[in-house]
Parts: sequence; C-alpha cells; structure tokens
Amino acid sequence: MNHRSIAIGRGFPAAWTLTRAWSFVSQPIHLIFLGLAAVLAFLSLYPSFFLLYGSLTDSPLGVPGHFTLQNYVQAYSDPEAYRLILTSFIFGIGASGLSVILALTLAWITIRTNAPFRRLFELTAIIPNIMPPILISISWVLLLNPSNGLINATLMWIFGLEQAPFNIYSLPGLIFVEGLILTPLSFLIIAAALKGMDPSLEESAKTLGSNEFGVAGRITFPLMRPAILAAGTLNFVRAVESFDTPAIIALPARIEVFTTKIWREALGSFPTNHNLAATYGVGILVIALLFVYLYRRFTSQVESFSTVTGKGFRPHQIELGKWKYLASSAAFALLVLMVALPFLMLLLVSLMPYYHVPTWETWKNLTLSNYRYILDTQRVHKAFGNSLFLAIVGASVCMFLAALTSYITVRTKIAARGLLEGLVFIPWAFPGSALALGLLWAYVDFPVPIYATIWIIMIAYVTRFLPYGLRAVSSTIIQIHKELEEASIACGAGFFATFRRILIPLMRPGIMAGWIILATIYMREFSASIFLYSPGSEPLGPLLYFLYLDGMRGRVGALGVVISILCVILIAFAQRLSRWEAR
Amino acid sequence: MTKTFPFLGTLLIPLFFLTSAFGQDAKLIEAAKKEGKVVAYGSLESDTTETIKKAFEKKTGIQMEYWRASATKVMDRAMNEYRAGKPLFDVILTNDNPLQIMHKHGIFAKYDSPSAKEFSKDAIDPNLGPRYRNVIVGVVYNKSVIKPADAPKSLEDLLKPQYKGKLVMPDPTQHTTTTQWVASLWKLMGKEKADKYIRDLAAMKPILVESLLPAAERVTTGETPIAITYVKYVFIFGQRGAPLDYVRLGKMMGDGHYAPLNNKAPHVNAGKAFIDFFLGDESMKIMASMGEFVNRKGVYPPLPDADKIQFVEMVDLDEKGFAEKKKEYTKIFLQ
Repeated sequence: MNHRSIAIGRGFPAAWTLTRAWSFVSQPIHLIFLGLAAVLAFLSLYPSFFLLYGSLTDSPLGVPGHFTLQNYVQAYSDPEAYRLILTSFIFGIGASGLSVILALTLAWITIRTNAPFRRLFELTAIIPNIMPPILISISWVLLLNPSNGLINATLMWIFGLEQAPFNIYSLPGLIFVEGLILTPLSFLIIAAALKGMDPSLEESAKTLGSNEFGVAGRITFPLMRPAILAAGTLNFVRAVESFDTPAIIALPARIEVFTTKIWREALGSFPTNHNLAATYGVGILVIALLFVYLYRRFTSQVESFSTVTGKGFRPHQIELGKWKYLASSAAFALLVLMVALPFLMLLLVSLMPYYHVPTWETWKNLTLSNYRYILDTQRVHKAFGNSLFLAIVGASVCMFLAALTSYITVRTKIAARGLLEGLVFIPWAFPGSALALGLLWAYVDFPVPIYATIWIIMIAYVTRFLPYGLRAVSSTIIQIHKELEEASIACGAGFFATFRRILIPLMRPGIMAGWIILATIYMREFSASIFLYSPGSEPLGPLLYFLYLDGMRGRVGALGVVISILCVILIAFAQRLSRWEAR
Repeated sequence: MTKTFPFLGTLLIPLFFLTSAFGQDAKLIEAAKKEGKVVAYGSLESDTTETIKKAFEKKTGIQMEYWRASATKVMDRAMNEYRAGKPLFDVILTNDNPLQIMHKHGIFAKYDSPSAKEFSKDAIDPNLGPRYRNVIVGVVYNKSVIKPADAPKSLEDLLKPQYKGKLVMPDPTQHTTTTQWVASLWKLMGKEKADKYIRDLAAMKPILVESLLPAAERVTTGETPIAITYVKYVFIFGQRGAPLDYVRLGKMMGDGHYAPLNNKAPHVNAGKAFIDFFLGDESMKIMASMGEFVNRKGVYPPLPDADKIQFVEMVDLDEKGFAEKKKEYTKIFLQ
C-alpha cells in the first residue's frame, strides 16, 4: 500500500464522518437536540459532579482530598442499611400505590363521569400539593395520635372504647399519610392523560356489549398505563426520598427508613458528613435510574398508547345514572381525607394563640394575630413577591425544557435521545439538601455572578424539579398519534410551526398539569432554597421553615392558608388562560 | 497648684477615655455607613433578631441583613463561601461547637469589642469573644395534665414508674444538642451515677422526636406531658397561653452562644459596629425580654425563678466525640 492509498484510506472516512456530521446538524431537530443536551448536561452534571466527587474523596467539598472508597464501604457494608432499604421500599411502594389508587378513582370520577360537583372536586384535589408536607403530617398526628388525637378521642367517646382504634405511629400510619400527601401529584398526571383520551375505543367496546365497568377495566385502565406508571414512578422515588413524614411519624414510632438513616449518619451528624450523604445519594441515583429504565421499557411500544388522533378526541362523559351520587360521595370522602381535614387543621392552627389539641376553651381564644403578622411584615411581602416570580417564571422555563425533552425522547429516533432523560433524572436522585450543597458549591465560584441572587434559586428549581414536568408532559405526548404531525409536515409546515401549532396545543393538558405541579412546589420549596437564598432573595419556603424552627406554628399555619389560597387563584388563572388560548 | 493638678487630672482622665471611646465609635460608624450594610448568618431566632435589627438600624443608620438557619446549616454555608473565597457574611451568631470548628479553619478575626467589658471574665472565650447567651435545657411539663404537686422534682424523678410513657425527648443519636446534654450529665451527678442514669432513662422508653421544639410542642398539646427541652419555651409558649412550667432543678445545663467577626468580612467596620451594639446593654435587654438567658448580671428573662438557675456549660464534643457518643447511645436508646 503506498502513501496515497494510506492517505485516502484515512481521509475518506474522515470526510465521510464530516458529511454525516453536517447532515446531522443541518436538520433543525438535531440542532435543538444538541442545544438541549448541552443545557441539560450543564444543569445536571455540573452540580452532580461535585457530589460524585465528594462521594469518592475524604475531605469536605471545596477542599482538595484523597481518593477513597471508604464512604461506600461505610454506607453499604452495614447489613442494617439493607434492612432499612427494604423498609423504605415497602413504604415507597405502599405510599405511591395508595396515591395512584386514590388519584385514579378521583380522576375517573371528576373527568369521565357526570357526577355532580366534579369541577369543584377537580380544583380542590390539587390543594394538598400546595400545603407544606410537614404541616399535613402534623395535622394527621393531631387527628390520629393514640393519646389524644381528635378522631381517636371522638370514636372512643362515641363507642365507649378503652383503647384508641387508630395509631398513627406505625408503618400503615406512615404509608397512609405519605400516600395522601402524594395523591395530588398522581392526580394531576392521571387526570391530564384521562382528559386527552380518545373515546372511540371505549365506544367500540360498549358497542360490542361491554358495560361501563368492563370498559373501565379492559379499555380505560390499560390505556392509562403510561400515566399510572409515570405517577407511580415519580411518587415512589419521592416517598423513598422524603424526610418530613418519617421525621414526624416514623421516629416516635421507632421505625427507621433509609432517609432517617441518612439524616442520622450524614446530613444530621455534626459536622455534616456530605461525603457520606453524597454516597447514599449515589445509591438512590442507581435505584431512580433503574426505575427510569423500567418506565421506558413499559412505554417502549409508544404507538400502542396513541389515543389522541386526528379524528376528534373530546372524551365523552359516562352517564352514571343514579350511581352518580355515590361517585360524588366517594370523591367527597376522599377529598375530606386529602384536603378538608388537613386544611381545617391548618386553619385552626393559624387562628390559635399557641399550638394545641383544640378543646371547647379554644373557641374563646381564637385570634387573627397571625394574619396581622402577614399583613404588617415587609419581609413576608417580599418573600411572596420572590416566590410568585420563581413560581411563574421558573415553572414556565421548566415546562418549556420539559416539552422539548419529552418530544425528542418520545417522538424522534435520534440515537442518543435516552441520554436526555438520564440527564434530567440525575440531580433528582440526590437528597434535596445534598443536591443544594452541590449547587451551592457549583455556583459560588461561577464566572457569571449569580450566587446570592434569585437566579441561582431559579436554576436550582429547574434542575431539581424538571423530572416532574417531564413525566407530566411525556404521559400526554405518548398518547398523541403521529398522523397529526405527519399531516402538518405534509402540508409544508416546518418543525417549529408543527411544534407550536399542532403539538403544543395537543400537549396542553400535560403542560398545564406539569406547570401547576411545579408552580405549587416552587411556592413553598425549601430544601434547596435554604442553602441558596440570600437575605434579599428570600422566598416563602425558607420563611415558613424559620417560623417553624422558631416554634411559630400559628404564623406557619396562617402563611400556609394564604399560600394555598394564592395557589388556587394561580391554578384557576392558569386553567382559564389555557382554555382561552385553546379557542 | 499641686492640689489643683490632681483634681483636674481626675476630671480629665475619664473625659479623655470617654471622648476616645465616643470618637472611636463615631469613626467606626462613619466608616460602617460607607460600607452600607452588615450581613449576619446565625441560628438566633428570627423574631429576636428582627427586634435587635430595628434598634440597631435606628441607632446607627446602618442596614442589617440576616440569614437564619440551624447551627449546622450556618456552618455549612459559611465554610463553603469562605473556602471559595467569597464570604458574604460579616458576623456569625450561633453556638459554641460549630464556632469552634469554624475557628479551627481560621475563619474568624480577633476583635476586642468595647462592649466585652460588660461581661465577666469567665464568660469570654479567647477565640470567640463574649458568650452573650446561654440556651438552657431542662424538664418542662404541662400543668393542665400534671398538677405541679405531682410533677417530677429532679432528673432522678423522671425514672419513677408513674412517668413511663409520659416523657418525650429529642433522639440523642440524632439531635446533637441532646447528644451533648446526655454526654454532660456527669457534670451534674458524677460519672458512675450518670452512666447508670442514662441506661435507666433509656429503659423508660421515652418518646424520641427530631429536636427540642417538637418535644416542647408535644407538651403544649398534652400528647406527652413531660419533655426534656429548652426552658425558654415555658416563656415563649406561655405568653401565648400554653399551660407550661419547668422543674426547678437548680443546676441546669446548656450551650453558650457567641458573635465572632469574619476575618474576610466584606463590611468589616459595619460588622464591628454591629457586634458592639449586639453585645451592648440595649440588645441584651431586648433578648432577655424575649425569653433568652443573657450573660448580664441582673438581667433575666421574664420566667419565674430565672435568677435561681445555676448554668452549667455542656461539654464540647469534637467530630470523633460525637460519632462515638451517637454510636454508644444507639445501643442504649434504640436497641
């Protein structure tokens, strides 16, 4: 072989590669993929790098240390850890399973039936997502503790029982409360998918002789599988990662779960052992990625879930006849558990001079002083402004990224599209405070001066909660048949025109559901904000946390009530805007 | 003449010190005003800080910004900013243990505030300055559930069978102040007796919660009538109507809090001016009126018999010490 042939032999593939690369980037969707991958990689890998590095080093973040596997040995050589992982697994499956069952029942009644008051039920089902989880847990302790819980005391009085019938300080109690806390998230995802479902399959089944329950079991439920799995996956990881409810209920019950162990040994130790916290985070990351893989396998046959086609997709309502009152009663009972009882407790706490189990004496001493504090304090007004800004702008940015990511991962055949989803889920797997520390370190020395401004909080929110937006929108996009896009492209529209005029309107239920989930979480988020805010950029989450830390339960309750009302207004406004745009 | 000179001298010497003190104060405040504001990170309660902030701003015209978190989070944030060379804080207001760790990392400047003179020598740490308050842990109970006559009278009384299932305390394997409190019991009862007491206390199966506040709250609700918690909650919740009282133990243990200056403070003069005010009479009285045990003779929180409490500082534990104690208490309290 002479020199020329060698040159050709080497040069030809190079030219060929260049041509391939050029043809790749010349398509707008590929350019968008590259841009989006760069943004997501920066958002997720930059802070995660510090945490992964921290898990493999023996010194605190920011201090040069030595490579070590000791953190992994310490975290995973203890047989106790595996027993706790099993308890956490039972807790996670139980709570997410309960949340999905409750959400599915509620969503079916409010979206697909003619049950009275269904619109009101739909709006109120989201409220618990707004209330700080710690307050919901405390409310349930006040209601169901075996010493003097209100429900227990009432039942003992009515039935002359000697022992309290319910004990909140137990694994079923823990699952029950966490399940109720997680239900709104499941509801939003499942309701969005139910709204976008094509009724023709259900009608065909009915024509072939199935009754309503047969249709629900054989058609509706299987079609809902992506949304159910999405909600279950999200809530499983959310339950396994949660610390609020276990801290209030599991600790006095002497039940230990994985997060209480992480708290005991790493985040709550003194001084905080972030290396060990990051190591535990890597373990949760592996579990979360396994769930993402399983979810993708479940939904790999995308076409089989396509139910929104070009042939009209307005879902019809099922006439329940006289059963509609029973359906309404069931939804009402669920909402009493999910919303009314905890909200009433929150309201009561906000009106009480100090935190206690209400007696007849309580009614005489109710006060509005906690609401006066909210009205009179400038710090509170500023925190409201900051949180509203973060909720509206942050949720919009997040949903824009989520919609693009979802489109590319579900709709295109780009080889590395799965990478985007992986990137989105990496930061989610770390415990909130551990990730916040990674973010703090990542941005404290960043060349663009965003540290100690509201923008670093915005970046943290988008990074941490993007999976919520992604899951909400993906479960909708999976249901949209490709024929609509193909028709648009056949009519000469480009990618952007098709995305804006066809896909975005069809994805609207999922986008709105995701936006509402995110905006309501951003209104009260604290685990990331607490590390990243500076005095001028304090949002409501840290303010709530400090009032809680200082024993000001009344003020926390009052602030919780006002935030809840504000969020309901925000949600109603978003839904109205969505309908107005759709006209 | 020889008679008038000493007379003039006795008049002029204090005047000289007085003017120099005022001169230094005015000069410092002038420089601080040019810096615009002071930034403090701390675990001092927001309401107390807010009242002190208003008084400070009114007196000096310097703005104060405060970032409030738990002591551990304060340390995490301060150390991270410091290591990155971008500390945003001038002053830290928190308890002894995290401050000692931060001091070992060379984070603080030595500042001899003129206000330090008002503190007794034993209340001044050579590295951190005056210990401005003591946060005291004691036994608190609900008067409407347990009559004062039936309430425990000593720590030993908590071991009586009648209180089984009625005691709540923070988990000593998880909550660091409680780890310290249990580890310091020997200071009150001697080593041998303390070791036995800890085992007997664990055998009572107290209800374990996350921290001192949830323990106190379970007492206000009556869910659990007795708690090992901060004595100041008797005043804080009491002024809102909660029927709380505390057991007069005589000697009670607690933690000291300090206000050191960052040696890379972005507003060094404002930081000094704030420390001077913070350790001064006005600020100490504000804190005491809000339930704090300040280190100033004759100034007490509005709590019955507050002046009779003998404060015993808890032992300092380093990282290794905490790890060992938590391991030991896991065996005693949880297994």
